[in-house]
Amino acid sequence: MSDSRPPEGTDPAPHGGGSEAWFFCLRILGGRYAFEAPLVTEVVRLGPLTRLPAAPSFLPGVFTHRGEVLPVLDIGQLVGHVSIPIRPSTRAALVHCGPWKVAVVSESVEGLVAIPRRALEAPPAESTGVAEFLSAVGRDRHGPVAILDLPRVVETARARAVPAGSARA
Amino acid sequence: MSETCEILLFQVGAGVFAARVHDAVRIGSVRDVPAEDLVVITALGTPFERTRGIVIAAGEDGREHTLVVDQALGVRSIPAADVRALPPLASECLASRAVAGYVELDGALTLLIDLRALVRERPGAAPTAPNQRAA
Repeated sequence: MSDSRPPEGTDPAPHGGGSEAWFFCLRILGGRYAFEAPLVTEVVRLGPLTRLPAAPSFLPGVFTHRGEVLPVLDIGQLVGHVSIPIRPSTRAALVHCGPWKVAVVSESVEGLVAIPRRALEAPPAESTGVAEFLSAVGRDRHGPVAILDLPRVVETARARAVPAGSARA
Repeated sequence: MSETCEILLFQVGAGVFAARVHDAVRIGSVRDVPAEDLVVITALGTPFERTRGIVIAAGEDGREHTLVVDQALGVRSIPAADVRALPPLASECLASRAVAGYVELDGALTLLIDLRALVRERPGAAPTAPNQRAA
């Protein structure tokens, strides 16, 4: 089911030396969104999704990958309240965010992108919508890229979920 | 010899779920069950029909409630080790304590439901203490 991995032997650390920073880019909500490349372990096609009762809209379900059950995170729902359609062809990036391992669903996967460091800028000073989760904005030869602070996205998802016992079905 | 676990498979709406057999008192028709003892709408959704039910003693007083299901699909014996917990991020985000884990049956991931917790969470039920979740 795996499609690709960040190439080994490269140094994709965005804050390392060199004139370029490496990110992993997905298309979400029609835009190009990326996050630090080392967070991504592989890209997979989503298998059959098991919906979870009483789950928030940004957690459309779980699926099995190599014997491991992984939660699927819909960033589109979290930041824009618009679902990313999930079809048999839908691909997701498996990411490690601290203790969490999640599958970030996308409209399509672009893969690794290199952005000149001089092209990275601070995100807009908005505190709503997707701007809340951006660590930078940049541009490569294909156009603008919004850099997501993925650990903040995951922590916000946890914080926004209604804890069990505080709501009724 | 490995320890086994008896699970009851049932369907609510389009979803198939599993529960520990010992959580169910009996399975039967809902025809003669008083309306106040029926649990129709839960975190699992709403059944298509109101014909079959799983009787559960959910309260501390032993009062029985009947969870309305579309079908009771049968009982399976599985290795106890096959019952797994949901990944932490998923279980933390759920607004229900009724999902006790999952089992893989015939290659499909099937959620294991704590029937007592499910009935306690029904709309209109009295709030429960956080430590009242069944083991």
